[in-house]
Amino acid sequence: MAGTTESLARFAPELVLSATILAILIVDLIARLQPKRPSLLSGVALVGLSAMAGALWLTPTGDTSLFTHLLAFDGLARYFKGFFILAAALGVLFGHLSDEISRSRLGEYYIQLLCLTLGLSLLASAQNLLMLYLALELVSLPSYVLSGFRWWDRRASEAALKYVVFGGAASGVMLYGFSLIYGITGTLQIDGVAAALTAAATGGQGIAGQLGLLMAVMLSLAGFGYKVAAVPFHMWCPDVYEGAPTTFVAFLSVAPKAAGFAALIRFFVVGFGQPAPGAAGFPWAEILGIIAIGTMTLGNVVAVTQDNVKRLLAYSSIAQAGYLIMALAVGTDEAIRAVMLYLGFYLLMNMGAFFGVQLAGGERLSAFRGMASRNATLAITMAIFLFSLTGIPPFAGFIGKFYLFAAVLSVGEPFFYALAIIGVLNSAISLYYYAKVVRVMFLDKAEEGDGVVEVSRPASALLLALAGPTLLFGVWWAPLADLIDKASSILR
Amino acid sequence: MSDTLVAVVFYGLAIFTLSGAALVAFSRNIVHSAFALFATFVGVAGLYALMSANLLAVIQLLVYAGGILVLILFAVMLTSRIDEARVSNHAWGRQPAAWAVGGLTAILIYVAVKAPLKAPMIKGALGGPAAFGDALLGPYVLPFEIISMLLLAALIGAVTLARGRDAAEAAKLAKPAEAAAPVQAAEPAQAAEPAEAAEPAEEVNA
Amino acid sequence: MIIGLNHFQVVSALLFGLGLLTIITRRNAVAVLMGVELVLNAGLVNLVAISRYQTGGLDGQIFALFGVVLAAAEAVVALAIVLQLFRARRSVDTIDVTDMRG
Repeated sequence: MAGTTESLARFAPELVLSATILAILIVDLIARLQPKRPSLLSGVALVGLSAMAGALWLTPTGDTSLFTHLLAFDGLARYFKGFFILAAALGVLFGHLSDEISRSRLGEYYIQLLCLTLGLSLLASAQNLLMLYLALELVSLPSYVLSGFRWWDRRASEAALKYVVFGGAASGVMLYGFSLIYGITGTLQIDGVAAALTAAATGGQGIAGQLGLLMAVMLSLAGFGYKVAAVPFHMWCPDVYEGAPTTFVAFLSVAPKAAGFAALIRFFVVGFGQPAPGAAGFPWAEILGIIAIGTMTLGNVVAVTQDNVKRLLAYSSIAQAGYLIMALAVGTDEAIRAVMLYLGFYLLMNMGAFFGVQLAGGERLSAFRGMASRNATLAITMAIFLFSLTGIPPFAGFIGKFYLFAAVLSVGEPFFYALAIIGVLNSAISLYYYAKVVRVMFLDKAEEGDGVVEVSRPASALLLALAGPTLLFGVWWAPLADLIDKASSILR
Repeated sequence: MSDTLVAVVFYGLAIFTLSGAALVAFSRNIVHSAFALFATFVGVAGLYALMSANLLAVIQLLVYAGGILVLILFAVMLTSRIDEARVSNHAWGRQPAAWAVGGLTAILIYVAVKAPLKAPMIKGALGGPAAFGDALLGPYVLPFEIISMLLLAALIGAVTLARGRDAAEAAKLAKPAEAAAPVQAAEPAQAAEPAEAAEPAEEVNA
Repeated sequence: MIIGLNHFQVVSALLFGLGLLTIITRRNAVAVLMGVELVLNAGLVNLVAISRYQTGGLDGQIFALFGVVLAAAEAVVALAIVLQLFRARRSVDTIDVTDMRG
């Protein structure tokens, strides 16, 4: 455990981020009448995020826990912090290029986005239930605000309302679950839970104790499940994705989901032993596996019927969460590395796909009609992202899925074979609706009124910058896999 | 306090709190629900005081009964006809939902009564203000600082949502954004940018 | 009769159940938010009771303190969103009138 000074040194990335938030607030006020204000704000945000990346790079490595065991500082936390910096930088760039965010509100948009990022980084490293809850709320509150950002659209206000109501309910239920865990284990530390559980198991808890533990974990799962949009806590997802600004949905569909998985990994693997704990005699792996089946099946089946691309991608992101929960159920080191790798690819392809929707200027499937002749760059990059999401070679998504399924199959139990088969069938269904969008872009003819889609040069460059790695990682993923192999240590 | 007195006070508070909560759940009039919520908050503050969490009892009264409830009343009064904003696409009817919740609660009560959580009552008052202060600036200094960022985010978020619109947004409102054709969406935005930048402070009262 | 942890936990469980019932059965968004407050209160009572009767120390109470503050922050944002929805609707009505004139 590191003392306060050492903790602060390892907390430098978050300190830089907090300073950036305040700097944006001040610049936003001072530069009110500057015609260059949007560029200035984006510049400050990007410089701040780069400084955060630098601080993360320079912090001493070596796993330890910070601030009297409130935060873990380990490979998992560092990997996800880097992930969130990249996602936030893309979020800032998308916001800068977006016409949904009015220029006079750009500062407020960035402040909310970066506060959210601060919450994400804490969520990925929280080692204490109080810290976990606080981080979750720090992620949620800005998400509610940003979902309602396009307030001139009725759908945006409704989306924000649904989100805040559902999110509040989920976090309340999770708080109750945490209180039960505290009651059963007598500690708020996640790493203390495992020890307390083992002690309780040997002490003979009886049926009530077992039931209490089951309740505690299931109720806590509500909060995580809502963050990663797992069935049955997914209901908010399509509506919020439809109503929120596309530029924010790109971020929302990736970063909070990844943070939710980081927290889930810590909660289950650290708190409840590894692999699936036998200590308390509950089949956690099977419970998570069933959630995974429900999540991916529902996501994929409903996505088939959508003709709004944002909603389609919302259901697709639910399905993607299903594949990840499937690997989480396995809970081995290999599976966790697969989850981290897949999330890395998911960042590129999902943010890219939503950025494509943002640039296409419409979210109906018809807005994409004949895109190949209206803007070839957009059509081709969009096709790359969608095929990668399907998991077809030679795109990054295929490698990611390969690792996920390999991890599931390596367990060698009938339940996990069945899980993998259902996962593969689901991938086949998903090909249908992803390919539907591609077909509309390439095979349907543009009709009258479908003009050329103007995409500014920086936006095209950004699209290519996301599509390039999606292709490259599909054939040469070793660097990222190596990085994750080195950086997947989890403080227990 | 003698044990009997504690028991009497406890049952009184419990009935007060739970009948408030039941009114919140079952009352048909939302204003009644809001006032019943007040009873629940006060009752919970009483329970805190009974557990000698005195500071928390005061905070519960100030923040919950004094602050949150006023906000909720505002919301009730201002939006009396917001009913059609459905919370979610309910897959469940009310009846099965009520049964499910009842079952869940029964399990929780069973756990609470039977679970080996029974432990000797710890004597003496816990956590006076001084102990709280020590803890907040000692082991819990990080959450204490983080929550200030959270409050900043909530403050700015609420202001962002509630403030008046500016000229550019008023223009957007005049032209509903739904199903904007791709070309049209790109062009006015770029054309509008310089104008917006030139007069960013101009706000139209809603 | 000695009042102990179990008594408080039963109250908390009932509070939780009533809150959840409110959340699930109510259609009005503000009423649902009230249900959320009930659920939060149930969790906080549980935390305080456990730290009072079982673990000792301040952990549970500190958690409850943060919980109260977070609930307030959440209520602020939720109210802002409710008001925004209200204003957006009013604005939409105004536009309808304008359309009919033009």
